[in-house]
Amino acid sequence: MDRRRIWGFFAAPGMVWLGVFFVVAFYAVVSVGLGNVNTLYQPIPHWNPLDWNVGYLVQAVESVIPGGQNWAVVVRTVLYLGVAIVLSLLIGYPVAYYASRHAGRWRGLVVILLILPFWISYIMRMFAWTNLLAPDGYGSKLLSALSIDTLFSSLGLLDGTDWLGGQGITVILALVYGYVPFFILPLFASLDRIDQRVIEAARDLGAPPPSSFWRVILPMSKPGILAGLVLVALPMAGDYYTQTLMSGSPSTSMFGNVINDYIQGGPDKSLGASMTIILSAVLLVFMLYYLRTLRREQGEVAA
Amino acid sequence: MSRGDIRLEGLVKRYGDVLAVDGIDLHVPPGEFFTMLGPSGCGKTTTLRMIAGFERPDEGEILLDGSDMSNTPPHKRDVNTVFQSYALFTHMTVEENVAFGLRYRKVSKSEVASRVKKVMEMVQIGELGQRRPSELSGGQQQRVALARALVLEAPVLLLDEPLGALDARLRLDLQVELKRIQEQLEVSFIYVTHDQDEALTMSDRVAVMKGGRIEQCDAPQKLYEEPDTAFVANFLGSANLLSVTARASGAGCELSLGNFTLKSDSAPEQAGVGTAMIRPEYVKLEPQGSDAENRIPGMVEEVVYMGFHQDVRVRLANGDLIRADVPSDGEGEEYEQGNAVSVYLRAANLRVLDDEPSGEPEPADGQPADQQS
Amino acid sequence: MSSASLRNPWGKPRFLAGVTWVYIIWSLLPVLLAIRFAFNDGRSRTTLQGWSTRWFFGDSAFSVFGDPTLQDALTHSLLLAGLAMLIATPLGILLAIGLQRWRGRGSGPSNVIALLPLVTPELVFAVGLFLLFTTALATIGLGTTAQVIGHVTFSMSFVVVIVRGRLITVGPDVEEAAADLGAPPLAVIWRILLPLLAPAIAASLLIVFALSIDDFVVSQYLASGADTTTVPMRIYAQARAAPTPALNALATLMLLITLMALGLAYLVFKFFTRGEKGGSAIEQIASIDSGGGR
Repeated sequence: MDRRRIWGFFAAPGMVWLGVFFVVAFYAVVSVGLGNVNTLYQPIPHWNPLDWNVGYLVQAVESVIPGGQNWAVVVRTVLYLGVAIVLSLLIGYPVAYYASRHAGRWRGLVVILLILPFWISYIMRMFAWTNLLAPDGYGSKLLSALSIDTLFSSLGLLDGTDWLGGQGITVILALVYGYVPFFILPLFASLDRIDQRVIEAARDLGAPPPSSFWRVILPMSKPGILAGLVLVALPMAGDYYTQTLMSGSPSTSMFGNVINDYIQGGPDKSLGASMTIILSAVLLVFMLYYLRTLRREQGEVAA
Repeated sequence: MSRGDIRLEGLVKRYGDVLAVDGIDLHVPPGEFFTMLGPSGCGKTTTLRMIAGFERPDEGEILLDGSDMSNTPPHKRDVNTVFQSYALFTHMTVEENVAFGLRYRKVSKSEVASRVKKVMEMVQIGELGQRRPSELSGGQQQRVALARALVLEAPVLLLDEPLGALDARLRLDLQVELKRIQEQLEVSFIYVTHDQDEALTMSDRVAVMKGGRIEQCDAPQKLYEEPDTAFVANFLGSANLLSVTARASGAGCELSLGNFTLKSDSAPEQAGVGTAMIRPEYVKLEPQGSDAENRIPGMVEEVVYMGFHQDVRVRLANGDLIRADVPSDGEGEEYEQGNAVSVYLRAANLRVLDDEPSGEPEPADGQPADQQS
Repeated sequence: MSSASLRNPWGKPRFLAGVTWVYIIWSLLPVLLAIRFAFNDGRSRTTLQGWSTRWFFGDSAFSVFGDPTLQDALTHSLLLAGLAMLIATPLGILLAIGLQRWRGRGSGPSNVIALLPLVTPELVFAVGLFLLFTTALATIGLGTTAQVIGHVTFSMSFVVVIVRGRLITVGPDVEEAAADLGAPPLAVIWRILLPLLAPAIAASLLIVFALSIDDFVVSQYLASGADTTTVPMRIYAQARAAPTPALNALATLMLLITLMALGLAYLVFKFFTRGEKGGSAIEQIASIDSGGGR
């Protein structure tokens, strides 16, 4: 037997596992979303594509287009994600840049401290803020002492003084807090790969520091930025727990909350499955983009 | 018949549409130091890997001492390989590395110890047994890789550019040592390299490869003195190539180069348009005016100082540029740009090549395109 | 970029340093304070009230080891993490080796499927498994088994990325060398491949453990009731309502376990890669995580 084919048997158990619990699981979403419900509103999946019933999917699509009942949630999700991603970039890039190029003898410590959040449960990191942002928490007191709450109120970003009382700004900042480490680390890795001599060459050819940054470093780190942004945007798009922990109010609910409410809360699991199909379809492009960069990186290592 | 006789018959290997090895026939008798020389991508490493068993030939046979081993997996083949990357087991000590293969032979513990000790002394790493590969220099790692393969006493050793990663001085030392070991053990070495010096200094025979085929296979001196093709002439040393028209004359032939006529001792396979080759060291420069046989007037265009010799480039009267190696021994003439000279191309050293005159001109300065420093 | 470097190209970028250290403090201080509250002597989770360990084991009714619901959550989290680790790591190692070597029909799509869980939003993934275990695989149903399966499924891809990275670093030469020296295929795997993969295996065990113990979404979707509640689920449920710092104590314990596992894996990793060139162990472990955001 061809030796190359034997390796296929190594892959077999894992592939079967992923086939059942990943591919078929996603197919279950499709079958339920395009299925039916019984008299108790329990979903009846239609496994056979010929039996597919597009009723729930049409209903779901209609709810997320302008005029639909979930349109406001879609707009809010895009807004929250957009602001959170821009903030992640503004915070994450300087940090990753400093850590990769200028941290000097602190580099080891800085890298460890940047990695640490990865090893702390996301839920615990959110929970820490619920301690701090409670009305009598140290965070609220500090923000009040610095008059930041009145400043935000006057700008219309904060309603009242309760940071945990259904504030969009809290949800956005919590998303940034939660996901920015996932942006910084891959960006750090890609900045770290830029050869110092390239920058020296730019300087040598007459580019002043700001110009060598804009014309050399920034373009060279663009793939890292894009990959990092995709990497944070994907989980943010499916996030529902940040919103429930930091606000809980329907006035700040995001697309993930809608799916979560349908699947775990109410009887409309078929509608929830259809919503999941829509979310996956929208995100698929980004997922494949990230996979491509990931595989290219592994290829580079090989070469 | 002593062991270590390798015979390749009609070996072919394809990767998709790429023909990596295109029909190789080869015979390496026992105890020979045989080298496959060629630029990267010429199929030499693929051929070696097929002999080792890492690749399966698409066609052809690999015979070791008369029996076909094309379908024998690598771990059952009685040949061992020294890898270009050394491929040492980083999680084992040097001694464990060397003893690795003996575990799969029926060898007693005491014999393992004595054989490991002996081979490690032979390659001069006797003191390094307890070290790890990462603690060794490149040259020492190379010796471990060699010891690990030699300890099994296979009749054939395959070496895939084993000196490629070492610096020039070390490479010279190890060349001498490899040759000594090979002669001492009387095993066949099949050696792959792109370095012409390695090929010339160590080998009994060299096969120059190009495009998956053997271009020419001969003893080093014969290859150098009597290359069949322009590729071989260029790959081994430098060569002046001249477009000529040849016609048979006596034992040798007469060549027309522009308006000049030259005599050559070589007998071309066929008359007509062809390529003549002469090594720069055989090109003699004489004072202007000498118009004896095989002399062409020319003018010095450039003199490049190379240390122990000078590279003098002369524009011949017919327009060709020719290189002459002039020794810097303080006795000969000093040349300067603009000197008029007479260029003597000795008939004994002027060789007509076999290959079809190709459309593309060969590089005039005779540097092989693939030669790497 | 910074004003300092504009004036003096050899100067230190103080502005960047400032941003970085402020960010680091911002990212870690809240967690440190949450840990501090776990040691509060009083009941408040928002104000410092002296020191005690009563919320860990002192208080008979409300401490982590006094309140059975908190204790069960901790046990259940550890159970899931342990099982996920022991199942996902060998599966992922085999899958990585297979995908690295296997050339043939089906290897292309298999590569995509093996990595897709890395980038699939956890919600999509959890909904899929939830619907699978409530319809086609209702015989398995929701509960511990489903949770373990879920954790194994998403963490296996991380193992694949880590192990493949190591395979690429090690290269095929050493295995060929071992075969060339007479080692039969199984011996090559046992004596050469597995020892060389040891650092990747240690890192894989750690990352699966950490991913599982930190996971919230999949655990929650595949839970069947109170006895399948994990620590993050407990924190999630009580974060806004918890009466005492016992929840902080629970979170602190969980963090401690994760960091201990991290330290252990670091030592193992360092032991197996001693003498190897390349980045420091800490940075290699760091780069593992950049494989996916979760």
